[in-house]
Amino acid sequence: MVDPMNWSPGRLPLPDDEPLNPVFEISNLSFYYGQVRALRDVTASIGRKEITALIGPSGCGKTTFLRCLNRLNDMVAAARVEGSIEFDGESVYAPSVRPADLRRRVGMVFQRPNPFPKSIYENVAIAPRTNGYSGDLDELVEQSLRRAALWDEVKDKLKASAFSLSGGQQQRLCIARAVAVKPDVILMDEPASALDPVATYAIEELMAELKNEYTIVVVTHNMQQAARVSDRTGFFTVEVTPEGRTGVLVEMGSTTRLFTNPTEKRTEDYITGRFG
Amino acid sequence: MRRRRWKDRVFWGGCTLALALIIAPAISVLVSVFHQAAPAMSWSLITHRTNAGGIENAILGTLLLLLGVLIVAGSIGVGAGIYLAEFASGRTERILRFYSEVLAGSPSIIIGYVGYVTLVVGFHWGFSLLAAVIALSTLVVPYIVKTTEVALRQLPTYLREGAAGLGMRETTILWRILLPPALPGIVSGLIVALAISTGELAPLLYTAGFSDSNPSLHLFHQAVPYLTNVTYTDLALPGAQAHATAAAAGAFSLILLIVLIGIGRLLSRRARMATRQMTL
Repeated sequence: MVDPMNWSPGRLPLPDDEPLNPVFEISNLSFYYGQVRALRDVTASIGRKEITALIGPSGCGKTTFLRCLNRLNDMVAAARVEGSIEFDGESVYAPSVRPADLRRRVGMVFQRPNPFPKSIYENVAIAPRTNGYSGDLDELVEQSLRRAALWDEVKDKLKASAFSLSGGQQQRLCIARAVAVKPDVILMDEPASALDPVATYAIEELMAELKNEYTIVVVTHNMQQAARVSDRTGFFTVEVTPEGRTGVLVEMGSTTRLFTNPTEKRTEDYITGRFG
Repeated sequence: MRRRRWKDRVFWGGCTLALALIIAPAISVLVSVFHQAAPAMSWSLITHRTNAGGIENAILGTLLLLLGVLIVAGSIGVGAGIYLAEFASGRTERILRFYSEVLAGSPSIIIGYVGYVTLVVGFHWGFSLLAAVIALSTLVVPYIVKTTEVALRQLPTYLREGAAGLGMRETTILWRILLPPALPGIVSGLIVALAISTGELAPLLYTAGFSDSNPSLHLFHQAVPYLTNVTYTDLALPGAQAHATAAAAGAFSLILLIVLIGIGRLLSRRARMATRQMTL
């Protein structure tokens, strides 16, 4: 995939850093909010059934990048994309692709637990039901809650409001909700940042478990978390140019390599705590 | 220090005075209307029609008009509010908003007059239920549009994004995710619109006409009796009997108003509690 003769440090991943079986291939992705360029020329691959962590300082565009993968940025007015994102070899911005169909295959868990103001059961069941799921809903709900390691805590109160759960439980409910749609990929935007250490640990355990079946892309503020859970890490940073602040992907590679032997000075500065 | 305390007192004194100035007229209206209505208050008031000293037809007519407003203004207003909050953008949004505001600022007598010229005379509908309902609806539609739009817009973004992130379609998100929590707010807006309709006279003068018989469901050519008209006309008649009937019609309007406002407050409180829970 990478021509060794043309390889330049920092622009492309090291040859052994490239995932063998990518589910997403992103090339030269730039993203604009109106006139503001939030992301510039991001080229990256997301490995199948791997956990990819995206780290970097605030405002570096990692969340923007994540939200490009399921086209959630479409909901923002004046958003514009350049470059390409291929999901299983097909462009996600092709005119034939309906965002709702894409998002069924690329689910999302948000920074703050955001259950619907409905019962626990309904939170998990509503998307499959309205998407036309034909199987046994009760079974799907149980299965999804089990996958999210929440079943034992809620099995006796499925009719209770989702708001009666603790923050950590609500976040696992949101994971169950995403799992119930049977996606291939789950995007997580700082899923543990609003949670205490115990709940954070539960979410991290869960991610390791979910990796067997799903591709996970997780944005995190927390470098230790990235090091603990991920197979591959991408480091984003902010570049200040005359046109304004822009997010760039500095380097992406296997987590072990990136944290022990970064190719870029900026990555090293960030992970050693000299910046950010 | 002393000066500050003095300022403080003047401020709170002013607030108390302002509050009294709001409450006093309201109480005075209630007391005087019910006092003047007292002689007319009897069972026969609601079992006899206006040609026999009662106001039965006017009560029924007002209720019928409210039902009509609920259907016409309710569907148009809620629909336009949803459109503004969820789908409109750019030019269409600006145009719709502008005309909604123009309508909201139009004097009610103008709306009544336009209704008369176009519907009653132009379309040859005569004084009629439909003309009256359309005139009243025109008056309250902007209000319903606004409350519906606000009820939807105040819902947190993460609710929409959460649903979109699960691959739900736009219409499904609207019906299953957004409308249920917005509903109490929308309904309380509808109820306040009905309360406004209850007390309106001007748009109805030239469109509903008046009749001593009970209202029918005919949409055209049949005048509709209503409460505010009884108050308006009977007050101008000589005689204590007529004045008491006028006051009684006013009292019934007020009762209807208070009931509607009560329901509206109950619902909006429930809406507030629901959204508070959500932003936790």
